[in-house]
Amino acid sequence: MRATDNQGSFLNRISIRRNQVVSMDNNHEQELEDIELFQKHVGDRFADLLSPAEDTSVDALLSIAWLRKILDVFLCCEAEFKAIMIMGRDPSQISKPPLDRLLHELLDRVVKTLDVCNAVSHGVDAVRHFQKLAEIAVSALEQRPIGDGQVRRAKKALNSLAVAMTLEDKDGAVGKSTERAWSFGRRGGGGGAVNKDRNPGNFRPICWNMAKGWSASKQIQAMSSNLVAPRGGETLAVPIYISSMVMVFVMWALAAAIPCQERTGLGNHFSVPRQLSWAQSMMGLQEKISEEWKKKEKKGSAGLLEEMQKMEKLAQSLTEFADNFQFPAEPERLEEVENQVAELAEICKKMEEGLVPLQQQLREVFHRVVRSRAEILDALEQGGKSSASIM
Amino acid sequence: MEDYRSVIPTEEGKRHVIAAAWHITKALVASDYVTDDLRKILTDLDSHLSAMPVIIESEGLELSEFERQLKQAEEDIMTWETNQAMIWDSDPMEAPKFVKFIDEILVLIESLRSLLNEYRKAKELLHRADRVLQLAMSWMEGELIHLLIQHKQFFEPKYMSFRCCVADVVYDESFVSVEEEPEEASQRNRSSNGNESERCTVDLVHPHAIPRLKSIANVMFASNYGQEFCQAFINMRKDALDEYLVILRMENFSIEDILKMEWKSLNHEIRKWCCSMKIIIRVYLASEKKLCDQIFGDMGAVNTCCFIETSKASIAYLLNFGEAVVMGTHQPEKLFRLLDMYEVLGDLLMDIDSLYSEDSGSDIRIEFHKLFIQLGDFARATLAEFGNAIASNTATSPFLGGGIHPLTKYVMNYIKTLMEYVVTLNLLLKYQDAEYSNPVLEHENEQGISSSTSCPMALHLLSITSTLEANLENRSKLYKDAALQHVFLMNNFHYIVGKVKDSKLRYFFGDAWIRQHIAKVQQHATSYVRASWSSVLLLLKVDGSLSKSAFKERCRCFNVAFEDVYKNQTGWCIRDQQLREDLQISTSQKVVLAYRNFIGRNSAIDSEKIVKYPVEDLENYLLDLFGGSPRSLHNTRRK
Repeated sequence: MRATDNQGSFLNRISIRRNQVVSMDNNHEQELEDIELFQKHVGDRFADLLSPAEDTSVDALLSIAWLRKILDVFLCCEAEFKAIMIMGRDPSQISKPPLDRLLHELLDRVVKTLDVCNAVSHGVDAVRHFQKLAEIAVSALEQRPIGDGQVRRAKKALNSLAVAMTLEDKDGAVGKSTERAWSFGRRGGGGGAVNKDRNPGNFRPICWNMAKGWSASKQIQAMSSNLVAPRGGETLAVPIYISSMVMVFVMWALAAAIPCQERTGLGNHFSVPRQLSWAQSMMGLQEKISEEWKKKEKKGSAGLLEEMQKMEKLAQSLTEFADNFQFPAEPERLEEVENQVAELAEICKKMEEGLVPLQQQLREVFHRVVRSRAEILDALEQGGKSSASIM
Repeated sequence: MEDYRSVIPTEEGKRHVIAAAWHITKALVASDYVTDDLRKILTDLDSHLSAMPVIIESEGLELSEFERQLKQAEEDIMTWETNQAMIWDSDPMEAPKFVKFIDEILVLIESLRSLLNEYRKAKELLHRADRVLQLAMSWMEGELIHLLIQHKQFFEPKYMSFRCCVADVVYDESFVSVEEEPEEASQRNRSSNGNESERCTVDLVHPHAIPRLKSIANVMFASNYGQEFCQAFINMRKDALDEYLVILRMENFSIEDILKMEWKSLNHEIRKWCCSMKIIIRVYLASEKKLCDQIFGDMGAVNTCCFIETSKASIAYLLNFGEAVVMGTHQPEKLFRLLDMYEVLGDLLMDIDSLYSEDSGSDIRIEFHKLFIQLGDFARATLAEFGNAIASNTATSPFLGGGIHPLTKYVMNYIKTLMEYVVTLNLLLKYQDAEYSNPVLEHENEQGISSSTSCPMALHLLSITSTLEANLENRSKLYKDAALQHVFLMNNFHYIVGKVKDSKLRYFFGDAWIRQHIAKVQQHATSYVRASWSSVLLLLKVDGSLSKSAFKERCRCFNVAFEDVYKNQTGWCIRDQQLREDLQISTSQKVVLAYRNFIGRNSAIDSEKIVKYPVEDLENYLLDLFGGSPRSLHNTRRK
């Protein structure tokens, strides 16, 4: 939360300054200073996300805690951006070209951000579904003495989990067929003994989520396609650019971490400018996440969320155990399984504690972004009016 | 004491002694009081004793009954498995049997569990029993899913009393299309609102299936398989809700889609939203809640959790649609749909609050309350935008013919339609600055309306019409002909007053306003006659008789002037017949009278050849004025 601390003082500074009557030159100089400070803050915050300072607890990259942190960073940057762009400013300054165009492009990104937030929020629901299935496996395998019954129960849940994870990754919209497949399977299926764990009741991708054809990948691509670093000229183009970059980056990281509708090619969508100092850490993060994404695409796993990756690994290992289980189990193997189950239980607990707040935070981002959009639109409209009346 | 003495070394007795010794040994091994050395000795003793034939024998004796039961259970479950029949559906006798079967397994498992430390074999038997239970539970889960699919019921929305889907305000013209002739705003059918859409629940799952589902829930929860039950239940019910949204023809849009949507489509989607909200919240979810209560009634948090998980995604969609709508632009034509949304949501807030009354539903509750406030703000802003749009709708060229301007029609029909939303608008305008309070939307009543010339709505309507009047005054100045200015204003003011008089608007404008505006119309009529005819009348004004040549000259001048007026004013437009006749009469009264006098005074002159237009013809020609199509008298011969 350190990010918020310096944010407060920053906002104060700006509002105090804006209230003072200063000469134009002076004003411009201070604006440059504000923007520089903004850049520094953005740089610092992302540096902290890349390699946290020693005194803080380390949240693994793309873990739930890390995602909550990056959302905090987003909110801070957003507030500072607004402070620079509109707080106490004469709207006519920003409603003329090229700033008006840049701001409209930003607003377009904002709308896409909202959809990504929603998609990610649905994705969090999917992760919660995974969690529930994993919990079943945990509670089965925690029972002692462990026998065929428990192992099969766990296996069933783990199978559902595996199927859910792959389906979720493919496309949220494929859902409907499962139900029919189920009723056919039940009626027509071969001899009962062959088909013991028959029902796919838990194989369910969440289907009522995003519009048909909506693609997280395409949205993020569209957000970054017209994003170019400003070269000289308009001072205020810089914060617009930085803010857009932060927006794109955060949405990209979220979509990479949490299952979202249609993410093919998410790995290589945008480039972070190399030469800018504030973007160094962002670039570092992007490299790391892209690396992970490549691995993911190779393996076909469901998402980069750290907890999910661990869950997937543990689930695989436990499934293997369950597949080869014969009574009585070897004590060493049992001990190993016990550890894995404890680990899986730990992950479920993290999810239980973290996912709901993450979802709430996504809503907060959503509302905040909606509000900012309205404020910027207002400013543009007012500016447009006043400049029109002058003419 | 007697028992004590009667310890005799029978076989039975021996076995008891050894068994007792073995139990004591085991208990000592497990206790904290023994030293390690002693524990080692005791452990040895334990293994010796447990290997003694009498012990093994007794183990066999005590467990044999369990083993027999288990064997039976294993066979039973295999039979059920191979039959693949839906026992809960096909055979009402089978279901209780199955429940009993599981109860027995659970008892067996409990017994075996308690014997775990006593008999080695108990562990093996327990595993087998667990396996049977797992098979049974897996079977149950299948049954559950089957029941939920087979007995799922949907209700047809059209049978419900939600006529809002079909009959509604037809007022979709956009402000920009103001040049077209808008239709009269039809009255929307408000009877479907409020009272009629009573809170009714339906059976989303056939009542036959409920006891079976309930007993599956009981059995699965008792067997500690509650998680599986919830997952399957939530998934199936979620699918059902998704399916129902498809039946309601709801489509899923991204925010971007909604913001880019043409008004026509958005309008359509908003209607669907309003309708679906009512059905989903008041009927479907209320019924879903009932279903959850029936099945999880006594399970507390599980009940709430399943209900929320089932409905969350769809609720999020409905919410999201509303949020996207209030992100759009404040086009005036949106107002009615926004007010619909606002009213619908206002009506449903209490239902939403009670559906999601628990803590875990607070996010949903809060989001809907937020949306409600946003919709109100947005509607207010849109109403304000309506005023701005009127003020800024200016023109550079005059409106042809001086008739009723489309803007006048648009505005008047618009505010007439607003009457349908008076109660809501009054609240909205009243709470403009005040903090949000939860207005209970009451039905409008005549009494409320009659005393309403000073309500916020009335003030707002006055400001709208005065903006309109000012706009019209400005437009009238574009006419070079002063007479046409008056015709234009007369036409439009007459239309405005007419609309007010003949609708509920009259309660808000009040009699004084109406009188004042009728007077205005009158005044413009008078001014028209003066502006248009005074110069012509001057030609007819003579004291005494004229010489023939002077008379001839006057007549010529009059003819030219009259023909000129005729040519112009037949092109002018007064659509309202009454108004046109009134004006023609008052014109006639002045013009024809003067003309008759003029000719009468000069009757000495042989006027037959000089007077081009006999009085009767002139009177008839005046009836051609304001018809909207220019005519000329130049080539007309006398009839």
